[in-house]
Amino acid sequence: MVSISLHDVSLEYPLYGAYDFSVKRRLLGRLLNERSETRTIRAIDNISIEATAGARIGLAGPNGSGKSTLLRLLAGVYPPTRGRMEISGNVVPLIGLNAGANMDFVADDNIRLLLRISGHTPTQAVVDEIWRFTELEARMRHMPLRMFSSGMLMRVLFATATAFPADILLLDEWLSVVDEKFSAKAEQRLLKLVSMAAIVIIASHDQALLRRTCTSVINLDQGRIVRAVPLDRYSERPFELEEKRA
Amino acid sequence: MTSIDASARRLSVLHIFKVYYPDLFGGTLTVIRDICTGLKASFAFAVLACSSANGRRRIVVHDVPVERVRSFGDILSLPFAPTYPLRLWRRIAQHDLLVLHAPFPLADLVFALGFGRKRPLVVHWHADIVTHARLRRFVEPLMRRTLSRAEAIIVSDRALLDETPLLREFADKCHVVPFGIDVSKYERPVPRHPDLKVGHDRGRLVLACGRLVPYKGFDVLIRAAVGQTFEVWIVGEGRERARLEQLIQSLGVADRVRLLGSVPDSELVKLMYIADVFVMPSVTSAETFGLVQLEAMAAGRPVINTSLDTAVPHVARDGIEAITVPPGDHRKLAEAIDVLIRDPERRQRMGLAARRRAMSKYSTTQFKQAIEAIYLDAVTSKEGVRSARAMRSETAGLVGAVRIAATLAWSDMRHRYVRSLLGPFWMSIQMAIMVAVLGSVIGHLSNANAVARLPMLAISLTAWTFLNNVVLDATTALQNSAGLIKDRALPPVTFLLQCLFRQALFALHNASVPLLLWLALSRTDIEGCIAALPGLALFVACTLGLGLVLGALATRFRDMKPIIESTLTLAFLSSPVIWTAEMINPNSTVMRLNPLTHLFAVWREPLATGHVSMISIVYALVCVAVLAVASVVTVKQLRKAAFWI
Repeated sequence: MVSISLHDVSLEYPLYGAYDFSVKRRLLGRLLNERSETRTIRAIDNISIEATAGARIGLAGPNGSGKSTLLRLLAGVYPPTRGRMEISGNVVPLIGLNAGANMDFVADDNIRLLLRISGHTPTQAVVDEIWRFTELEARMRHMPLRMFSSGMLMRVLFATATAFPADILLLDEWLSVVDEKFSAKAEQRLLKLVSMAAIVIIASHDQALLRRTCTSVINLDQGRIVRAVPLDRYSERPFELEEKRA
Repeated sequence: MTSIDASARRLSVLHIFKVYYPDLFGGTLTVIRDICTGLKASFAFAVLACSSANGRRRIVVHDVPVERVRSFGDILSLPFAPTYPLRLWRRIAQHDLLVLHAPFPLADLVFALGFGRKRPLVVHWHADIVTHARLRRFVEPLMRRTLSRAEAIIVSDRALLDETPLLREFADKCHVVPFGIDVSKYERPVPRHPDLKVGHDRGRLVLACGRLVPYKGFDVLIRAAVGQTFEVWIVGEGRERARLEQLIQSLGVADRVRLLGSVPDSELVKLMYIADVFVMPSVTSAETFGLVQLEAMAAGRPVINTSLDTAVPHVARDGIEAITVPPGDHRKLAEAIDVLIRDPERRQRMGLAARRRAMSKYSTTQFKQAIEAIYLDAVTSKEGVRSARAMRSETAGLVGAVRIAATLAWSDMRHRYVRSLLGPFWMSIQMAIMVAVLGSVIGHLSNANAVARLPMLAISLTAWTFLNNVVLDATTALQNSAGLIKDRALPPVTFLLQCLFRQALFALHNASVPLLLWLALSRTDIEGCIAALPGLALFVACTLGLGLVLGALATRFRDMKPIIESTLTLAFLSSPVIWTAEMINPNSTVMRLNPLTHLFAVWREPLATGHVSMISIVYALVCVAVLAVASVVTVKQLRKAAFWI
């Protein structure tokens, strides 16, 4: 059973200043009896979220409100400082597409490597499928990524990142990365991915997008849940994807 | 696991049952056929069944490919097909979803042994094993295993769930999906068979339909006909035929009771119309639903069924669409038939109610939709479970970290070859030059034979380069992989392991230099090499520990990196890497206290002399132990590594 359960979870994010990164300074401080506490910021403040299969949660809020941090917390990047966090299911964070790509490798190798990193076996068929999705010329497959334009690069990375469905999908500012020509197709694929995932959590500034895709929207501010709005309109305006899937 | 685009093609589904058309007709087969034809837009179906008929092994029935496994007749109502499990096992991998129509112990055998664990399985529970209660004892553990690994269990009625203890154990994955019937097939046609209307006019034609097997209770129906006026037509074929014929003869009802044998579907519909009463006299719970009574209802016939604890009396309800009599009681059955025969008005009323119920409650559209949803859910949930399992072992555990680290390291090394033909061998050439230069210098320093020392010098340099590079690499590894750690949530320890693997691969390239020198200059001593292996393992373990601890420290405290770098240079110069202990005073305190002396000694001494001093071993083991403790602490601390980068 896929579920997310956060119970009064807090995250104290340590703010390392220049001195905090220095072991010499620390030793010196110890010698001079100068107590220096590392300053922390409460990036996540007493957040409780329960989500079961079918949940589509949107995270809204101004910059620095903790959206990405919450996603990373759910992905297991940051350990919670306090509280109980239970997650069952395969979590796939699509926070930054770029991660893991090696500009010097040819596109094909990158696709394979990225697939392996996310725990999939890159069979020829899968790689071919991904390449077909990018709609790039076949000869580009054997060129290093650094020769790709940023748009082309995004196509490759996007196609690879979204090639496999996930139980729990964490999306950060999705779609903003993809160029316009490709975006309709990309949006469709992402929506398909969203429709196949049991739980989706989307962080975005795009209120319309959240309203369109989510069952509830959580407004964050300074790491706190300001408001959690279940979207009743969800039922009135059925998610277009559900139809496609049927 | 299928990728997201692969879902565009139809999922391949295998129906697993003991028998299929054209060897037999019956309710279960109708269900399978209806699923196959009704959902063919979403799934590509195939059937694996047994057949005792001599004929082609692979046939196509109603556009569905059917493989028929040779059966040598029935034993305890089960086909004796020894090769069926084997065929099933071979077919499992070819399909996306397995659909078992239970009970079928031959297939349970395959699933109970754990085959096909990776494929999603849906079980249609048609009936319990009632006829051969003793067989059940042996088969139940198998069935339980099959059910426990199934993604979903489909039953036709709530009653089945309540009355079958085995199913109650798995109640959470049971789905009640009433069979559906295509009522349009039973639209009353213009009577084109005036000759057949005779029976209808007389108002005393009783129809029954089903395989001629004991649980259908046709013998009860035949007995009920004794001393009555109505006619009984029984449609169906089966192994009971001879016995029933004999019974008809001996009871002297041959003039009114007829066994019609198998009849095509279209003919059956016509027979339904001319019949006045439809009887389903089944006597055991093997009759779970009675699809045929639903057909009769669709044709607007009043039904007489039996009060089994299955769905039978719920499909056609006593007093509304049916008269329900106790199973096996031919007197009550005769009474009920007589009541209906005598009351045409009641017959009509019940018939209308029956048709209404068939249309509203048992619609084929609802049936198809529900089945489709369950099948799709089974496929996706299995994928979820599988990928979750894969992910857990892939990323969460240390094993997963090791695997990803190895993949990354391997790709790093391959990449060296992509950039240049020689790849990491460029470094080996550098190493060779270094060995040559240092060798000549040292040759001048000491009086010993410089050439004879070259292999040892080369291997020492290789080992040192390995250790040095692992530690240096580790100091920057985490920062260089910030993206993967923060955005892909890979455990940070992965990237420290990657350093070790990557440098190990490079060291293997470098090892070609000492190897060549060794082959050229020294006598080969295999025993010495083998004796050196445990020591080498200690050396590598220490390197790993150093890499982990110093890598993490250098990430947490940025000013550690220059300190580590200078310490490494110092260690290189003060340790017997390019020179050996014999060249200077071997008992100097610095030499003895320097752990690197011993870490090198534990594998170099066996290589050179075949012996190693106890002190060195103890020293090396202590180093490993200390580093192991430090590594465990480090790995714990690495949970916070995302904050540092």
